[in-house]
Amino acid sequence: MRMEPIRAAGGRPAHIRHDDDLISAKGVSVVMARQLVLQNIDLAVPKGSFVSLIGPSGCGKSTLLKVLAGLVNPTSGSVSIAGLSPVEAARKRMIGLVFQDANLLPWKNAVDNASMLLGITDKSLSRTDLRARGQEMLELVGLGDSAHKRPHELSGGMRQRVAIARALALDPAVLLMDEPFGALDAITRDSMGQSLLEIWQRTGKTIVLVTHSIDEAIHLSRHVHVMGIKPGRITESLDIGLPYPRDLSVTEDPEFVRLAVQLRMMLRASHQPGGTS
Amino acid sequence: MSDQPITNLSEPRLASSWAAATGSWLPAVILLLATIIVWEAVVRIFAISAFIIPAPSEIAQSLVAQWATLMQATLVTAGEILFGFIVSVVVGIAIALVIVRFDWLGRALYPLVVLFQNVPKVALAPIFILWFGYGLAPKIGLILVIAFFPVTLSMLAGMQSVDRSLLSLMNSVGASQTQILFRIRVPHSLPNLMAGTKIAATLSVIGAIVGEFAGASDGLGYVIQFASTQLDTALVFAALLLVSVLGIAFYYAAEILERIVVPWAPKFSQA
Repeated sequence: MRMEPIRAAGGRPAHIRHDDDLISAKGVSVVMARQLVLQNIDLAVPKGSFVSLIGPSGCGKSTLLKVLAGLVNPTSGSVSIAGLSPVEAARKRMIGLVFQDANLLPWKNAVDNASMLLGITDKSLSRTDLRARGQEMLELVGLGDSAHKRPHELSGGMRQRVAIARALALDPAVLLMDEPFGALDAITRDSMGQSLLEIWQRTGKTIVLVTHSIDEAIHLSRHVHVMGIKPGRITESLDIGLPYPRDLSVTEDPEFVRLAVQLRMMLRASHQPGGTS
Repeated sequence: MSDQPITNLSEPRLASSWAAATGSWLPAVILLLATIIVWEAVVRIFAISAFIIPAPSEIAQSLVAQWATLMQATLVTAGEILFGFIVSVVVGIAIALVIVRFDWLGRALYPLVVLFQNVPKVALAPIFILWFGYGLAPKIGLILVIAFFPVTLSMLAGMQSVDRSLLSLMNSVGASQTQILFRIRVPHSLPNLMAGTKIAATLSVIGAIVGEFAGASDGLGYVIQFASTQLDTALVFAALLLVSVLGIAFYYAAEILERIVVPWAPKFSQA
């Protein structure tokens, strides 16, 4: 599979359609407590794409994700998700959210946790329908046989899988993930990333991932946007031309190594305040 | 990680470690027995008058002799405690829900609740007798004002400590405040609430006895007061013993309730 020619920039594999951008942010700035958190962000996320936002602490990458999710209103600029505002899109269950903490309800088992958000948005579904949907999603994330376990009986990685199942249960167009594997150990993190890739390819969701891991960004995404601090802004964008499907052996690919070096240099530059926006 | 449901986790441990459990209880039991023996010996050797300190044997005799009276009084007091405790928990929960759900009402109510907590409630007993007479009502009222506060406070703490990103998650799908309250905040608060309920159970016993001291014609508090005017100190101690037994019984009843209501709480989850 690594026989395909690799193109570093602008390489969009032909087998994924990208007719239009599902998410488009234009000139988004956010001011919080008199601080310019985000400055003039332009971001386009093609439909079905896997995009990572990477940057140092305080670069506003989580805030940008919250803007896309409709949880934070931009001070200026606009965001459209399939032509809707983020809040409208969220109400139409087009947005699935996953945070660093799985935030499962300890009094509910895995299957009820997985269908919890769906049950809140769609009151027409019966308990049986919800359970069936929850079970289906647990199977998708590889936890089909843990449906009746409570969160404290699950490992950190398994809990995060339930959180992903909960987001997917909404059948969202886009999955917004804020350092979803940030609290996991390195080995679990790798296998979670691989699972996420497989879920992405099976479901065709658009994914925006906030991460601070260079390896994770290159392993998973098609496009990486590097963000800088003071003020938070996108400083560089990098297309990852490595062909899909990828597995963990991609990290040994010379192109992966080259991209990692390039991304590391970009990140180092992004630690400098100011500069061009 | 365990495959077993949590409710089963502690049971095999209890059964298999009976020896360990008795081992941990044994020192306390020995100390208690030793105290009783020394007490008995000191009272006999120094011929201390029974109306100052009755010997354990005299307390036991009094307990047996007055058994019917004491049991009747225990039932009355237990009824007051139970009724008062239930009212306290219900009112305590209601106040907490109102404070969380209705923002401006909460901001009006919360400082007043805290202010009221600083009123010495025992001093209210005579007023309650004045208002409600000598029956059940003043005791329930007194238990309520003493015991609702830990219920309200603990439930509030539980409802307000829900993780922000979980609330973000709920908000993003357009969940209403009522949905967030009853699906997230209330169940999330149950472990805290149960801790507050245990405190309320203990305070309910105090409330009932104080209420009976202030004015009653029945109950263990009344027996204690009546016996002390008669200089029947052995009967005072016998009644005190029964009050303590009631206190312990209510505390453990609240603890059993806790296990039933929140079997998923972190404290029960440790294998």
